[in-house]
Amino acid sequence: MEKITKLGLLCSLAGLAAIYAGAVYVRPSVTPIARLDNEFVGLKVIVSGQVVDLRESNGHLFLKLQDNSGGVISVPIFSSTRSQLGDSIELLDEVQVTGEVTLYRGELEVVPEEAGDVIIVHSPCTGVASIGADMLGEPIRVIGVVEKREIVGSGNIILTLAEDGGKLAVFVPASVARSEEFPEVHVGYTVQASGWLQMYNNELELRLTGAWNIKVIGAA
Amino acid sequence: MLDVLAFVALGIALGIFTGFLPGIHVNNLTPMFLALAVGSAFASMTLAAAIVAMAVTNTFISYIPATFLGAPEPGTELSVLPAHRLLMQGKGYEAIKLTAVGCFGGLLLGAALIWPMLLIVGPAYAAIGPHMHMLLTAIVIVMIALERSKAGIFWASVIFLLSGFLGLLSLDTNLSRGDVALMPLLSGLFGVSTLLLSLKNGGKMPKQRIDDRPLEIKRNLKPLFAGTAAGALTGIIPGVGPSQGTVLAQLATRSSGTREFMVSVSGVNTAKALFSFVALYAIGRARSGAAVAVEQLMDVGFRELVFLVGVALFVGGIAVILHMKLGRFAARNIGRLPYRATCIAVIAGIVGLTIYYSGLVGLLILTTATAIGILPAVVNVKRTHCMGVIMLPCILYFAGLKGGVLSALGL
Repeated sequence: MEKITKLGLLCSLAGLAAIYAGAVYVRPSVTPIARLDNEFVGLKVIVSGQVVDLRESNGHLFLKLQDNSGGVISVPIFSSTRSQLGDSIELLDEVQVTGEVTLYRGELEVVPEEAGDVIIVHSPCTGVASIGADMLGEPIRVIGVVEKREIVGSGNIILTLAEDGGKLAVFVPASVARSEEFPEVHVGYTVQASGWLQMYNNELELRLTGAWNIKVIGAA
Repeated sequence: MLDVLAFVALGIALGIFTGFLPGIHVNNLTPMFLALAVGSAFASMTLAAAIVAMAVTNTFISYIPATFLGAPEPGTELSVLPAHRLLMQGKGYEAIKLTAVGCFGGLLLGAALIWPMLLIVGPAYAAIGPHMHMLLTAIVIVMIALERSKAGIFWASVIFLLSGFLGLLSLDTNLSRGDVALMPLLSGLFGVSTLLLSLKNGGKMPKQRIDDRPLEIKRNLKPLFAGTAAGALTGIIPGVGPSQGTVLAQLATRSSGTREFMVSVSGVNTAKALFSFVALYAIGRARSGAAVAVEQLMDVGFRELVFLVGVALFVGGIAVILHMKLGRFAARNIGRLPYRATCIAVIAGIVGLTIYYSGLVGLLILTTATAIGILPAVVNVKRTHCMGVIMLPCILYFAGLKGGVLSALGL
């Protein structure tokens, strides 16, 4: 082997070893969302938080995660990645995302590259009976049997869920009810619904913001 | 209309600037136009025209330093070696003419074939996408197997893996931002290593011949078509850069000659630039830094697409003339510069820009990339194997293994 070949190979391996050591030293760690700013753009981070908003478009999923630091970050999961996720993501799930921080239309995002970058932990449901006015304005997830289904106004649906003696109205806006993804829901079905708790005519009700926030667990 | 022309002229001037200076990329200047869009009276279309003008001009002009200084930018890295070979035969101007044919031809053909390409590329992507890692792996295997001898195959594999590992560590970890790491990576693998070998071999700049005879178009049609198709593919498919596109084009045309290669690679680069804007309309996704900037300025519908393509063609016509004139000037005057001192100055410039943009980490990446880039020449295999720097991370990405591999490495 020529001297220059040996030297080139040695320098390559030594350089790679040094770069590897450096990469291990600065590997991504869990970063509080509130700490993320433009300085992080182009870097990989791990963020962990609760899904406080979720919408779907053309097969892509757009989440907003909030953690204990109070920060909220957008997480787009593109269709190619989403199709490989082993589990569905729902509102209020705890999700850990590893991805590159990017700037899209002035807003920071963390973009996972592949399904393995997204870890989902489903959060438990809140019992219908335990929902009180102190939870007003908060996102909650409930499970219950549809006791009543009525159509009001221009296609809005109100479902009354019952569980353990408690009752809760679930308001489905017409725009959500008309979407193709909205499942067939009839009286007697057991459903899980996630949304924001609001007050209407002095009654607490859960407002659905998307068809993907309700799923049928069992039919009667 | 006058404001559009003024901004197109500004875009062309900045395209010349970014094309001439290795290490200064179009993406470094697009934020300027985005800043202008906020709180100014300039229409978004006007600013978008300037960005398109800058991106298109840059693809032409960047072949001048790649040819005469051996300093690549993303997209021109594979052309450095053949262009340098022609330069050392006193045919630097011929390299400029070949890249002019490739760039302008790629632009014209790309614009003419937008609709057929869109009809083909979309379904092709849907069909190929899930198998992209296998396709890329097959390309790598063919590239390595073409070395024929056992020693050649061994060294090609070693160089591919070393480059690939370097790419993975530099582009997919927090050591450096991916777009920042690209410059020292490509400069080391394809630029500084070539210049160092020239210095070692006591290279002397031969007198450059200016041959004004027109090139035979018919002979270049095949690499031009292949380059344009590959450019359309890489302009729309994520993660596949111009160099991988050129490998595809080469395989499709079986063109291996220096001249066909240069037409093909420059055709890929310009067609890619054009199709990155077309992708905004066709699939609603930005596939280049310039396209990201245009996307932030406006929604690209059919009317906007026609406008952007029109600007690209108008600018292409001017850029090809500038490319030929400036290339001719460089060919005439490069001999006046002391070759050794010029090489050292270019290497020093690349080192300086690397330290400025990416600090000591960048310098470490540049040094390692240069060491790997020297290997193909000394063990007598093709430098294309250094494209492992992008291809290995791409293969792992499409196979869905990148995260797993990085985790296994403790990253």
